[in-house]
Amino acid sequence: MAHVSIRDVRKAFGTVSIIKGVDVDIQDGEFVILVGPSGCGKSTLLRMIAGLEDISSGDIRIGPRIVNDVPPKDRDIAMVFQSYALYPHMTVAENMAFSLKLKGVPKPEQKKRVTEAASSLGLTPLLDRYPRQLSGGQRQRVAMGRAIVRDPQVFLFDEPLSNLDAKLRVQMRAEIKELHQRLKTTTIYVTHDQIEAMTMADKIVVMHDGIVEQVGAPLELYDRPANRFVAGFIGSPAMNFIEGRLGPDGLGLPSGAVLPLDMKSQAEAGSEITYGIRPEHLQIAPAGTPGSIPATISVIEPTGSDTTLIVKAEGGNLTVVLRERCALKPGEAVALKPVPRQAHLFDAQGKRIATA
Amino acid sequence: MPVSPKQARTLKHRSWVAFLVVPPVVFMSLFVVYPILSAFAYAFYEWQGLARGEFVGLANFREVLFGATMAPTVWNAFLHNVYALIALMIIQNGGGFLLAWLLYKEPFGFRFHRVAVFVPVVLSTIIVGFLWKLFLNPNFGIINQALYSVGLDSWAKPWLGDSSTALGALILANAWHFVGFPTLVYLAGMQRIPSEIIEAARLDGTSEWQLLKNIVWPLVAPSTTILFTLLFIGAFNWFEIPYVMVGLDGSPFGSTDVLGLVFYRTAFGNQSASIQNFGLGSALATLIFLFIVVFASMLTLWLRRREIQF
Repeated sequence: MAHVSIRDVRKAFGTVSIIKGVDVDIQDGEFVILVGPSGCGKSTLLRMIAGLEDISSGDIRIGPRIVNDVPPKDRDIAMVFQSYALYPHMTVAENMAFSLKLKGVPKPEQKKRVTEAASSLGLTPLLDRYPRQLSGGQRQRVAMGRAIVRDPQVFLFDEPLSNLDAKLRVQMRAEIKELHQRLKTTTIYVTHDQIEAMTMADKIVVMHDGIVEQVGAPLELYDRPANRFVAGFIGSPAMNFIEGRLGPDGLGLPSGAVLPLDMKSQAEAGSEITYGIRPEHLQIAPAGTPGSIPATISVIEPTGSDTTLIVKAEGGNLTVVLRERCALKPGEAVALKPVPRQAHLFDAQGKRIATA
Repeated sequence: MPVSPKQARTLKHRSWVAFLVVPPVVFMSLFVVYPILSAFAYAFYEWQGLARGEFVGLANFREVLFGATMAPTVWNAFLHNVYALIALMIIQNGGGFLLAWLLYKEPFGFRFHRVAVFVPVVLSTIIVGFLWKLFLNPNFGIINQALYSVGLDSWAKPWLGDSSTALGALILANAWHFVGFPTLVYLAGMQRIPSEIIEAARLDGTSEWQLLKNIVWPLVAPSTTILFTLLFIGAFNWFEIPYVMVGLDGSPFGSTDVLGLVFYRTAFGNQSASIQNFGLGSALATLIFLFIVVFASMLTLWLRRREIQF
């Protein structure tokens, strides 16, 4: 296990800046997820930690040493790739033992470590098979086994579940989390799937356009997003946003209607702000309820456990998630009542406005 | 008897298939199968010039393989083909593999080098043979001049005139001529390997040599199958470079004699002096053909077993 420290790391390909100064601290044994949309630089940052990409400036430390110029094989890390990157001409056992063989680990020790890792991942019956004879989930487990046998200081995962179907992804998510809880090895995991990030991470680093937007525990990011980007990215379905102007009685909407605010903000009266509310923090009320948002139901999506409504309201579509089943119909007029004190306010630059 | 619609459809389908298949089969039979079978057949006759004589059974084959006059020349030439195969396997295909790896790593100017390495392949063999004959000239050839200029005068030789170096010189010229082909085929094979596999191997701790030996080489097996099989066929059909550079007799003293030259001398040799034997030539050609077909097939089957699915 090791502490990983990333200090003002930058990466440019020619004149194109990909990583624009990133600072992240990852504690011993922590499970940190780098999350962000495609092209935000999260995979590039992971590859720089692995040593597969040079860094343009800044420092990366693994444990006490700066590893900027240390070749990948000497960084004491193991990486699991999105495409698994198993050696197709080697059996599962040979794939797992390859790094040990290169290190000159005696054969009995190689066998012991491979057997232990295989047993912990349920791979024992597959040890003599070739990767082409395995399913996607099994291949992913072999890739993890190959990483485990090395007993590295840091595990790196680069979107390891992206090639799996939805059901297997949920299963593997739990397996990876369970594995981390057992091994307690420092883990850095890249994904674009915020559900994966929320469910697995000790700490999430939200990246966007080469910078870190926010670092924090999953629920901290969910409950107190630092800006509009994080608010919109974390959470599924995404947060609803309503643009308006702050007035003495609440948020003035373009139509002249006023959405009352039950919180005091530091924003100046008259300033343009964005009102954010999560779908589960909107409740259905009878049409015309005072202090509510008038809307018309557009689409109803029952999932069994809850019901998602897409409604047309002033300023565009809003999403509502109801935990209980409902007898509403598309086209029906309703009122949306925000749950008290659950709104998020953002200024014109998208930064969170402190509220009390 | 009336024909049912189903029978009519079947008949129409069969006619269509026959229309597509028959012309190429006839063409192949006339221009490929018939000449090959004719050549086989010639081997069973005695020939006086271009006039076919008596049917002699396997006598021509016996003479080629075991006859006191012909067999020593044939076996000597066969041995030289084997040497050429082994040497070209190492220099031409092995060199091509290493060059491909260098190009794969995209060094400075790799686009230029990728083209440059293939340029000799498109040159005519006659031109390449002539060029190398000039390079190897003992008096003004660039090789000896280079040796003189660095003080290695004692290494300078009449490369094509010395029986200990002549075959090696031909092999070198051939390797220079064709090394671009295995280079490009291997490069294409390497570019098929997913980059994550190479990266995973680097993370696993491979050195450059271990990466080549344990990962890249096994994963370019399909390229190896093609290249080794083509080289095998080419090595036992080797003719142009020896013919252009050292002439029909495999000079000096038969040290560069190969089966192609022996066949040519035997079958077409000196027509004006009637030193030619079509029967023996055909027997030798038949044996070369059968040897290549059998061993190339075995080699291909063996090499294909090494191939990997990604």
